[in-house]
Amino acid sequence: MRLALAFSLIALPAVAGVDEAVNDVILPDLATFTTTAEQLDVAAQANCSPDALKGPYNAAFDAWVAVSDVRLGPLEQGALSIAFWPDKRGFTEKTLTRLISDQDDIIDTPEGFAEVSIAARGMFALERMLYDPDFNAYATGSYACDLVRALTRDLRRQAIAIEAGWRDTFADLLLSPGAPGNATYLDRSEAQRAIYTQILNALEFTADSRLGRPLGEVTRPRPTRAEAWRAGRSLDNVLIATEQAVTLARALADWEIPETEAALARVQEAARDIEDPSFQSIGDDLTKRLKLEILQQEIDGVSNAIEAEVGTRYGITPGFNASDGD
Amino acid sequence: MKRTMLTATALILGAVPAFAATKADVLETYADIAHAGYEDSLITALTLEDAIEALIATPSEETLAAARAAWIAAREPYQQTEVFRFGNPIVDDWEGKVNAWPLDEGLIDYVDASYGGATDENPFAALNVIANPAPTIAGEEVDATTIDATFIADRLNEADGIETNVARGYHAIEFLLWGQDLNDTGPGAGERPYTDFVQGADCSHGNCDRRVDYLRAVTDLLISDLEEMVAAWEDGGAAREDVMDDADEGIVAMLTGMGSLSYGEQAGERMRLGLMLNDPEEEHDCFSDNTHRSHYNDGLGVQNVYLGRYTRVDGTVIEGPALEDLVAESNPALDEEMKTRLDTTMAAMTDLSDAAEGGFSYDQMLATGNERGETLIMAAVDGLIDQTATIERIVADLGLDAISFEGSDSLDNPNAVFQ
Repeated sequence: MRLALAFSLIALPAVAGVDEAVNDVILPDLATFTTTAEQLDVAAQANCSPDALKGPYNAAFDAWVAVSDVRLGPLEQGALSIAFWPDKRGFTEKTLTRLISDQDDIIDTPEGFAEVSIAARGMFALERMLYDPDFNAYATGSYACDLVRALTRDLRRQAIAIEAGWRDTFADLLLSPGAPGNATYLDRSEAQRAIYTQILNALEFTADSRLGRPLGEVTRPRPTRAEAWRAGRSLDNVLIATEQAVTLARALADWEIPETEAALARVQEAARDIEDPSFQSIGDDLTKRLKLEILQQEIDGVSNAIEAEVGTRYGITPGFNASDGD
Repeated sequence: MKRTMLTATALILGAVPAFAATKADVLETYADIAHAGYEDSLITALTLEDAIEALIATPSEETLAAARAAWIAAREPYQQTEVFRFGNPIVDDWEGKVNAWPLDEGLIDYVDASYGGATDENPFAALNVIANPAPTIAGEEVDATTIDATFIADRLNEADGIETNVARGYHAIEFLLWGQDLNDTGPGAGERPYTDFVQGADCSHGNCDRRVDYLRAVTDLLISDLEEMVAAWEDGGAAREDVMDDADEGIVAMLTGMGSLSYGEQAGERMRLGLMLNDPEEEHDCFSDNTHRSHYNDGLGVQNVYLGRYTRVDGTVIEGPALEDLVAESNPALDEEMKTRLDTTMAAMTDLSDAAEGGFSYDQMLATGNERGETLIMAAVDGLIDQTATIERIVADLGLDAISFEGSDSLDNPNAVFQ
C-alpha cells in the first residue's frame, strides 16, 4: 500500500500534464512565432512588395495559428491585436482605408502604431494589404508600403512581448499552482482546467466559426466569411488549429489517447478531400458543402474524444472562455 | 442571563436559514428575481409607449425629451435581466428580438453620408426602409408599403439572415428617438430633431408618416416580446419550469449565466473589444450615449443573482435563499472571495457610470490614446474577468463540474442542432 502511494507520487509530477503542455508545446511554439514574425519584418523592411512577403507572411501565420487559441496570460488579450477576426462590420477595410486616405502619420512610430485600432493591426490587416486587389497595388515608397512595414514591425514587437510575458511570468503561474503569491491558479486542477478549456475552445471555435461561418445555411452559404480566404489559408488554419489542440491534449494527458488520435486522423482524411483551400466554391454544389460539413463533424469528434480521454480521466470540465456569449 | 440567552437564540435563528437553503429554494428566488425583472421591464416599456404616443400626437422638444427619458428608464431593469440569458435556452432564443446589437441602422432610416453604404457582410446596411416602400432584399422585391409589426418581425428583422439587420428591439427604438451620434469620439449623443415626427409640410428628413408607423409598430413589438418573457417566468411558465426541473442543472444554469455574461459577452465582446477598436459605434447604446448604464446594470444583475436580492423599480425588494448561502455553507472563504470580487466590479462600474454622468461619455473614453477612459473601462473588464475565475471555482466547489455544460454548448454552437 505504502509502496503504491509512493509510486503514484513519483509517477504524477506536481502538475501532471501542464508541465509538458507549457515547456514542450506552448513555449517552443511561441519562440517559433517570434522567429517567423522577425523574418517577416526583416523581409518587409528590405522589400515591401506583396510578392516578396507572401512566403514569410504565411510562415508567420502558420506559427501564429499554432499558438493563437491558447488564450491565457499574455495571449488572453494579446491575441486580439494580432488577429482581429471575425470582422462582422468591416472594420479592417474601413480603418485601413481611413489611414491610407488620411496618410495618418500615427504609423511612423511603434508607440503610435500600438494605439491604432486592432482592426488595422496584425494578420488580417496584412492579409488585406498583401492580397486584396483594392489594397495591394502599392509602390515602394508609398504610404501603403510604409504601412505594411509598420504592420510587420508591430507584429514582431507583439510576438516578442507575448513570448517574454509567458517565459518571464505567466508560465510560472501555471507551473506552480497553489504556491504562495499565486492567486491565479490555486491548485493543480485549476491549472489543468485552464489548458483543457483552451483545447476544447480551439476546437469549438474551429468548428463553429472557421467552418460554421462560411457554411452559413444550406440555401445561403457565406464564402467570404471564411477566415483568411483572400490568402487562401482557410483550410490550413482549420488543420493547424485542430492538430495543435491534439498536440496539447497529448501533452496534458500522461497516457495514450488512441480515440483522439483516431479522430484526428479522420479530420486529416476529411481535409484531404477538400479541393478548394479558401472555401470559395462552397456554394457551387452540395458535394462541396457536404465535404466541409463532414470536416466539421470530424472536428466535433476530436472534441468528444478529448473530453472522454482527458477530461473525464482528470475529472475536469471546461471553464468559461472568451467566446461564450453571442 | 436572559439577555445572553436571547442573543444565543438569535444567533441560532440567524444561522438556521443559511443552513436550511436548498438548491430548490435558491432556484425559486432566482426565478422570482427573473420574473420581477421582466415585469419591471414590461412596466417601464408601457410607460415608454405612452411617452411615444404623446410624441407622435404632439411632436415637440418636450415630448421627444420625455420619450428619451422613458427609454433610458426602461433600460435600467431590462439590463439587469441579461444575466438570465446564457444558460437558459428559452431566454437566449428570445433575447435577439429585444436586445440585438450591433445594428446597421441604415437599414431602418436615413443616415449621414459618412455612414457609407452596403458592406461586405451586409448589402442592406443602407436600405432605409422608411424611405423605400419597395426595397429589394436578396434579389426579391419586398412590399413595404405598410410598416407594421408583422412586416418588421417577419420580413425586415435579420433580413437575408444577416444579424446586423436589427429591425426591432430597444436599439431600433433608440435609433428612432435619438438618430445617429455624429460626434465621433467627442461629447454628445444623437440629435434627431422632433420635426422628424411632424406630419405634413414641417416634416424633416421626409417620410414622417412612415417613421411614425415604424416607431409605433416597433414599440408594440417590444411590449409583446416582454409579455412573453414575463409569462415564461410565472408559476408554470416554461422558463421557470426548465430551471426547477433539475436542481443541479438549474444551479449550473445560474452560474453559466453569470460567467458567460461576465467574461465572454461583457468583458470581452462589449467592453474590451470596443476599446481596442477605438470605434464609437462599438458602444452598446451608441445613439443615446447610455452605454455606461447598460454596463453597470449588467454587472448589477450578476451580483443580484449571487446574493438572491433584486430591488424593483418601485423600490420593493425581492429576496430569498441565495447561491451565496450554498457557497457560504460549503466554503466560506470562497463566498467571501466572490462577494469581494463582485463588489470590486461594481465599484469600477460605479466609477465608470459616474464619470459618464459627469460629462465624460463612454464614446469619449474609447478614443485612441485616451488613457483616463482606458483606465476606467479596463478596471471594470479586469473585475469581470476576476469574478469569472471565482465563478469557475464555485462550480468546482459545489461539485457541479461533473454536470456537463450542455446548455451552454448548444447556445454557443447553433450548428450542434443541425448536426
